[in-house]
Amino acid sequence: MYRGREGQWAFVLHRLTGVGLALYLLLHVIDISLVMFGPEGPFNAFLAFYHQWPFRVGLILIMAAVVYHAFNGIRIILMDFTDWGVKYQGALWYGAMGLTAIVGIPVLIKVVPEILGIA
Amino acid sequence: MATAAPKTLKQARETYNTSGELVWWVFMRISGLMLVFLVFAHIYANNIAFNAGEIDYAYVANRLAQPSVKIFDTFLLGFALLHGVNGLRYSIEDYVRKPGRRFWAKAALFTITGIVFVLGTMTLWAFSYDEMGAAVRALN
Repeated sequence: MYRGREGQWAFVLHRLTGVGLALYLLLHVIDISLVMFGPEGPFNAFLAFYHQWPFRVGLILIMAAVVYHAFNGIRIILMDFTDWGVKYQGALWYGAMGLTAIVGIPVLIKVVPEILGIA
Repeated sequence: MATAAPKTLKQARETYNTSGELVWWVFMRISGLMLVFLVFAHIYANNIAFNAGEIDYAYVANRLAQPSVKIFDTFLLGFALLHGVNGLRYSIEDYVRKPGRRFWAKAALFTITGIVFVLGTMTLWAFSYDEMGAAVRALN
């Protein structure tokens, strides 16, 4: 029921996305705090550096991690607080994956052309 | 804090005698639900409604000059940091088994999180971005 099946992949992905997002959050707050140095400070140069395409692809991965972590988090809440959540946890995981794709595809359509410079 | 990780239910009951972990368990579910809305709105505003590749000082100053953004981002910062730091604590407790290493890993985590919370709150509240924000609003 658990090993190598939906529940385990749900847990592994939740853990990986969670750790990744927490570390990104710490970095993101430190980054944005550079705005305190004012318009003549290092903020614009720093932003220009992060606008390079590898970092923007990284931002897509961050967004994907957020969406997965959110929908799988709702799955966990349903498992904890309803009497049917655990029984259907496998189906709920496919639902979370499906919703991640449904939210993610329009984001890709919006963001990928921006990165390629054709938007 | 630097006690050996309990390996049986009996050991766990001898090690812990408060409901602190239950409080955190409930907090993760409530804050998680709130963060779904807070983070989705944050990403929508800065990545979907706007081209993130065009974000510059003026854009950020214009946002941080607005009280509504300051208040929203303060909630976002607080809930995200608490949710994130507790998730990292779970991970440390799962994977760092030696008591000494576990203590220092957690001490480092809590220290960094505290510094980042102060830094983020300062960024949101300690500076006036009105002048730069007004210049941006004049352009729009």
